[in-house]
Amino acid sequence: MTVTTNWEVLADPDPVFAVAEDLFTTMIDGEPGHLMRWYGERPAILHPTYTWVDVVGAGDEARVLISMGRDTGEDLARILFDLEDDAPVAETDFADAVGELVNVVGGNVKSLVTHPGALTMPEVSDEMPTLADASPVVDACVTWRGALLCVSLWVLNEDPSSRS
Amino acid sequence: MKVVVADDSRVMRQIVIRTLRQAGYDWWDIEEAENGADALTKIRANAPDFVLSDWNMPEMTGIELLRNLRGEGNETPFAFVTSEGSDQMRETAEQAGALFLIAKPFTADTFRDTIDPLLA
Repeated sequence: MTVTTNWEVLADPDPVFAVAEDLFTTMIDGEPGHLMRWYGERPAILHPTYTWVDVVGAGDEARVLISMGRDTGEDLARILFDLEDDAPVAETDFADAVGELVNVVGGNVKSLVTHPGALTMPEVSDEMPTLADASPVVDACVTWRGALLCVSLWVLNEDPSSRS
Repeated sequence: MKVVVADDSRVMRQIVIRTLRQAGYDWWDIEEAENGADALTKIRANAPDFVLSDWNMPEMTGIELLRNLRGEGNETPFAFVTSEGSDQMRETAEQAGALFLIAKPFTADTFRDTIDPLLA
């Protein structure tokens, strides 16, 4: 079955921001107010980590991508695993934690557009994934406790070989 | 009460179990499963009273797990905790025999409000 998903309903970052805000309020901070929209020129993220899931199937595919600094990802992993502030974070736990963040955002984004396909397993890398010929629908940043995180939604082309 | 919590993410299993405790279910004897296949083995072996499962998992998804259980006549009460809570997913879950679907992110209140009426 091929369908045409209206990704443009998410072009305004507000719905995606609302998803992120809900996620941070309930699972990270336990209270609202710690996630702020970032306006204006965005600074480079030091030691970036990229985590993404794809919405696939039905001939209409998209990628939800979150980028953040390594330190920010480790802080988030410590909170999610309920570790001490200075506890070391194992690589597998780091990938699990930041991957789960994008999994939740991706699932909620998929619900917003009622896409009939499936979510892929989260990927995590210190390299930006290839997004050749992909079109950004949303590319917005937030700050969390002073650290920058960016969330973007890309409509993917039909050639999977052009992606990583 | 024996409960199986299935999720391929270790951190999410921890969060689900921590939130269940916060919601007042600290008396539950919870066993973790890493995916649907692992859960199926543990459910067959230990006959839990309730299964709380993620949907999207490697090896065997949550909906495949549920259909496998029902296909072999196992009627263990089953529910989903998953990142997608669309009407379509909820309908699919209900048709397969799930009691409810809680979408991530969730709070202890979400668990309490959903689970308490079923235990009453």
